[in-house]
Amino acid sequence: MTRIDIDTARRLLLKAAGAGGLGALLASCGGGSTDTEAAPVPLAADDGTQTALGTSRTTATLATTSLKGRVLVVGGGMAGAAVAKYLRLWGGSGVQVTLIERATSYTSNIMSNFVLTGQKTVAQLGYKYDTLVSKYGISRVQDEVLAIDPVARSVTLASGAKLAYDRLVLAPGIDFIYDPMDGGIPGLETPSAQAKILHAWQAGPQSTALRNQILAMPSGGVFVLTIPAKPYRCPPGPYERACLVADWLKKNRPGSKVIILDANPGITAEVHSFTDAFTNVHAGVTEYHANASIQSIDPATMTLHTNLGAIKAHVINAIPPHKAGRIVTASGLADAGGRWAPVNVLSYESKLAAGVHVIGDAAATAQPKAGHIGNQLGKVCADAIVRAFAGQSPDPAPVTNSACYSPITMDTASWLTAVFQYDPASGGMAVVQDSFREAEQRSKDHIEEMNRWFAALMAETYA
Amino acid sequence: MKVVTLMAGALLALATGPTQAQQVPAGRLLASNCFQCHGTNGKGPGFETLAGKSASDIYKELLEMKRKTTEIDIMKAHSKGYTDQQLWAIAQYLSTQR
Repeated sequence: MTRIDIDTARRLLLKAAGAGGLGALLASCGGGSTDTEAAPVPLAADDGTQTALGTSRTTATLATTSLKGRVLVVGGGMAGAAVAKYLRLWGGSGVQVTLIERATSYTSNIMSNFVLTGQKTVAQLGYKYDTLVSKYGISRVQDEVLAIDPVARSVTLASGAKLAYDRLVLAPGIDFIYDPMDGGIPGLETPSAQAKILHAWQAGPQSTALRNQILAMPSGGVFVLTIPAKPYRCPPGPYERACLVADWLKKNRPGSKVIILDANPGITAEVHSFTDAFTNVHAGVTEYHANASIQSIDPATMTLHTNLGAIKAHVINAIPPHKAGRIVTASGLADAGGRWAPVNVLSYESKLAAGVHVIGDAAATAQPKAGHIGNQLGKVCADAIVRAFAGQSPDPAPVTNSACYSPITMDTASWLTAVFQYDPASGGMAVVQDSFREAEQRSKDHIEEMNRWFAALMAETYA
Repeated sequence: MKVVTLMAGALLALATGPTQAQQVPAGRLLASNCFQCHGTNGKGPGFETLAGKSASDIYKELLEMKRKTTEIDIMKAHSKGYTDQQLWAIAQYLSTQR
């Protein structure tokens, strides 16, 4: 054999091995015949050539287009699920979409404060990816992206597999900052400290654990909630939490207090509703402090050292400062502050890497970091990618919207909404002041509307 | 040079045919702002189903909400975020959904 023959034989062998690996991957994704499933396109081990795997099966009516393209979506939260769904709905069957998510299902952060009052369980907030796969023909890979090569346009997974893309969409959500050098609260650096002083700000096991800590509180107990400086996920969320915990303690652990230590100069969302809550509805239970600074937290003695002095608590719920999910910060896609990804809000394409889009909480925009608007950013991004595959520019005037309901007690809620329009002067999204409103009065009706809104939003995103 | 570019463009258009003229339906992205509460394409589940209602009915209702300055509920607040032209584009798109 000549040298060339040996190389050729080796390549063929590697290709055969690659095909076998792919078959195994498909089987582990739930089986189905390999000729009809949409599948990720792995790079061949030898020379990077790619193999397409046929068209995908759907039950939804996809747009009729002749567009072709491969999109990898990293992260299956509200923004990631929405962009994946709408890339298929609007891009048509020739747009292959692979959703890479390490978890088996999504746990909704929205409504998760009700886990703390025992009105919901974490299991009730779980959403599977099955419908996105079966109805829209999205491929699902349960894995984690370790590295991005924006020049070769491929990602490397923890499993070692490499996937190629034409467009990459990152929707990794948030990470917490624990390093005091980076702005974290001193005292919470170790895993044991973090296991005792919970955030419960990514719904899941921590939500249940915090519920259990509250259950273990005595009457006359002290619950301390710390709120990080903006921007953080779900602006009204911490105040909503303080209200729900206060309402539960009032009824179940009389004489208890909820002390709110807010790093911000004032309530950051629904000022009217939460001011009323802290001064009237929960008077005598809640104690709100703006401009609070925490020097350290000692988990052993359950003491916070603050600008207000030392505070001893039965439960400390410290929500750490946030930054974009790891894949953004580890891939050089964060801004100078190192926390969030600068993007072009017409397409959510990164300003630092062509072909890479960042949506949802991880993106640096003037819009809130929250699920309802995260879904809409997913749709703006999907529309822009579909247009790009057709050789067109993004919609020059996108509009996005935010809406939510915030429980003030266990059976009343307020609401908040805002619409954002593209502002060509700043190149960013700007809130339309007239649309930026909150409920004048909390009510039981708003709780019913909240349940309806939540069911609609989750169906729009996951079904 | 310009002529050559134009001709090349025309040839490309001929070669790829009408299916390559990927026209994004007007109002689709705008109307998708409704989907979080009214369901994908306004078909529910959620609040009032909007798909297939007449464009003029939807537009009239949206304008009434937008002009209202008292008893502001979430939808009256929300409607104030859009220009009249945007509301019309939204209404037209939703009316085409079946």
